[in-house]
Amino acid sequence: MSNQFSLTDTVDAVVIGTGAGGAPLMARLAAAGLKVVALEAGKYWDPKKDFPTDERAQDKLFWNDERLSAGKDPVAFGSNNSGTGVGGSTLHYTAYTPRVQPDDLQLKTDFGVGVDWPVSFDEIATYYDEIEHFIGVSGPANYPWGPARKRSYPLPPLPINGAGQLMERGCEAVGIKTSLAANAALSAGRYQEGVGHRPACANRGFCQAGCNIGAKSSMDVTYIPLALSKGAELRTECYVTQLIRDSSGRISEVVYVQNDQEKRQKCKYVFLCAGAIETPRLLLLNQLANSSGQVGRNFMAHTGLQIWGEFDEDIRPYKGIPGAIISEDTHRPAGANFAGGYLLQSIGVMPVTYLQQMARQRGLWGESFKQAARAYNHVAGINILGDCLPYDHNYLELSDEKDSRGLPKPRVHFTNGENEIRMTAHADKIMREIWDAAGAKNVWDFQRNAHIIGTCRMGHDRETNVINADGQSFDVPNLFISDNSTFPSALAVNPALTIMALSLRTADQFLKNRNRLDV
Amino acid sequence: MDYHYPAGTVRDLLKSDAVTDATRQALTERLDQQPRQPAFFTTDEFKLLTCITDRLLPQDNPAGRIDIAGTIDERLTSNKSDGWRYDSMPTDQNAYRLGLKATNESAVALYGAPFGELPTEQQDEVLNAVQAGTPPGATWQQVPATRFFEELFAEAVNAYYSHPLGQEEIGYVGMADVPTWQRLKLNELEPREPRPID
Repeated sequence: MSNQFSLTDTVDAVVIGTGAGGAPLMARLAAAGLKVVALEAGKYWDPKKDFPTDERAQDKLFWNDERLSAGKDPVAFGSNNSGTGVGGSTLHYTAYTPRVQPDDLQLKTDFGVGVDWPVSFDEIATYYDEIEHFIGVSGPANYPWGPARKRSYPLPPLPINGAGQLMERGCEAVGIKTSLAANAALSAGRYQEGVGHRPACANRGFCQAGCNIGAKSSMDVTYIPLALSKGAELRTECYVTQLIRDSSGRISEVVYVQNDQEKRQKCKYVFLCAGAIETPRLLLLNQLANSSGQVGRNFMAHTGLQIWGEFDEDIRPYKGIPGAIISEDTHRPAGANFAGGYLLQSIGVMPVTYLQQMARQRGLWGESFKQAARAYNHVAGINILGDCLPYDHNYLELSDEKDSRGLPKPRVHFTNGENEIRMTAHADKIMREIWDAAGAKNVWDFQRNAHIIGTCRMGHDRETNVINADGQSFDVPNLFISDNSTFPSALAVNPALTIMALSLRTADQFLKNRNRLDV
Repeated sequence: MDYHYPAGTVRDLLKSDAVTDATRQALTERLDQQPRQPAFFTTDEFKLLTCITDRLLPQDNPAGRIDIAGTIDERLTSNKSDGWRYDSMPTDQNAYRLGLKATNESAVALYGAPFGELPTEQQDEVLNAVQAGTPPGATWQQVPATRFFEELFAEAVNAYYSHPLGQEEIGYVGMADVPTWQRLKLNELEPREPRPID
């Protein structure tokens, strides 16, 4: 069972962050017999007691330290992106878990833009298979896109909500193929190692504000309990401020603040898994691992245009898993004037989220807004998730403004490039056609970019990358990074499953090479 | 279509076992909240903010008012962030102070009187100018008008539709999730889901 190590113990590994990047490797390293301590900035919630079905009360799941959003297309943070608490952003992810397709990993080869990944699809797919079966992914027996799977999904698909039924109808009318989506939520109860029984999804539609029954496969009900059962120690409400190096240049201590007290944990290795903002921020604050000058660079955010419409049908968009239906027919659209591609997903939505988006971009206010709000039960959405290229003009830096801890707030610059603008225009046309065919009225678009990717890129060349293909820093040999910051390209799928896959791979490569690394 | 839903739906469900204790507690506290005396805003600022939010989201519910200005004041008093802000904007506290001051400047420049003294038609014209990014007044140099409008309106909407009375207006009963939702087909409702009324 879970251990308690002393600050004066030199533990084998300190894992910083317990989301999709940190939790799987935490379990893997503990299972191999290593002394593992994980530091999490947030709390370990008890969802049954702590998670009301109330969006406002659930703001606590988001990373709410203020970030400054710059550029022509400032990216929203808070509810849109990073999480806090044991489980990280998986506490509020939609749990869409599509796999990448092999060509997602080679944009440079295929289009001459961006960069190729240093890891092969086959290797990642092996981990996909393991993860889908361990955490519990519900999905279709036959998925029409990408390479054939070795094993079917462990659970049948979840029921289709209203938005999904409308997307099926609209896509059929315009000749676009759809499929039931893969979701990391249980369509039937099952036993979870380290947790016990997890119930089937209650169709509560609240995935993005926390599952209160443990049906969604977030890290707090999957890899974290597994890691604890294998002997890892979890310390919560610990905010890491410094990584101290010894004379040889290796990190010897991790400094963190818990209950206003500064603490130091001695360690042999550090796994930095704090996400694509906090990971580079910590490195920049410590002036660490940045001989390439690439820490904070190559910031990417998926194209994420949403198209909303009102239907005569009664939909009740709060019911059912939000993302029931998917299409990857637009993965590499014929005749496209852009590199890469995107997928289409149906979206149910919680009311405050929907109405706040409407407040920001639909232009209505006063009585006309209230009337549109009263149509909420008749609203359904469809959105894309598309690739985004790395650009010099999109990056993270430390600002002059200090947060409540006295540390510089991060400033994130983001402006869509020509490729993203063209892709979004392509998608806007197709989604409006689908929604028109499905019977939508009062159609409106919500412009957005979602998922934060890049900033500590992995690759073979130490001049242009922060870490190598095994997740190891080129500069600090006992520092590994595992989270969305390491992605060389944005990929045309939701990132969580691939973050988990790279996390396990980083752990396995580390364990394989450990004897050499210890020298 | 203009839909209307019966009153009292959420309040009734909060008394039932269709909501969890955690949900009941969060929503009941909000429902029972007394109007707040401002701690961050001055009395004049608070009156002006109330006047603006009454135009953005007019209230005529006989069951009670939703205290939007008070909710904003409470957040700004504790300087709580929602995780990000536009880099082009001053800090949230300064943005509100400056934006309110600038709105009054625009009201005076356009119609010769502070915002609160204008007839509602002229108030709405001032707000249209703020939303469009074209309001007169020097203070807007310090706070971009369009972003101020966006941030203020989004926060007002959050406060309004997080409230049980706002949720009753739109027929939302998603908080009543204990029995689970089994009727997901289009047009198929559970008995506890309210039907629109004429």
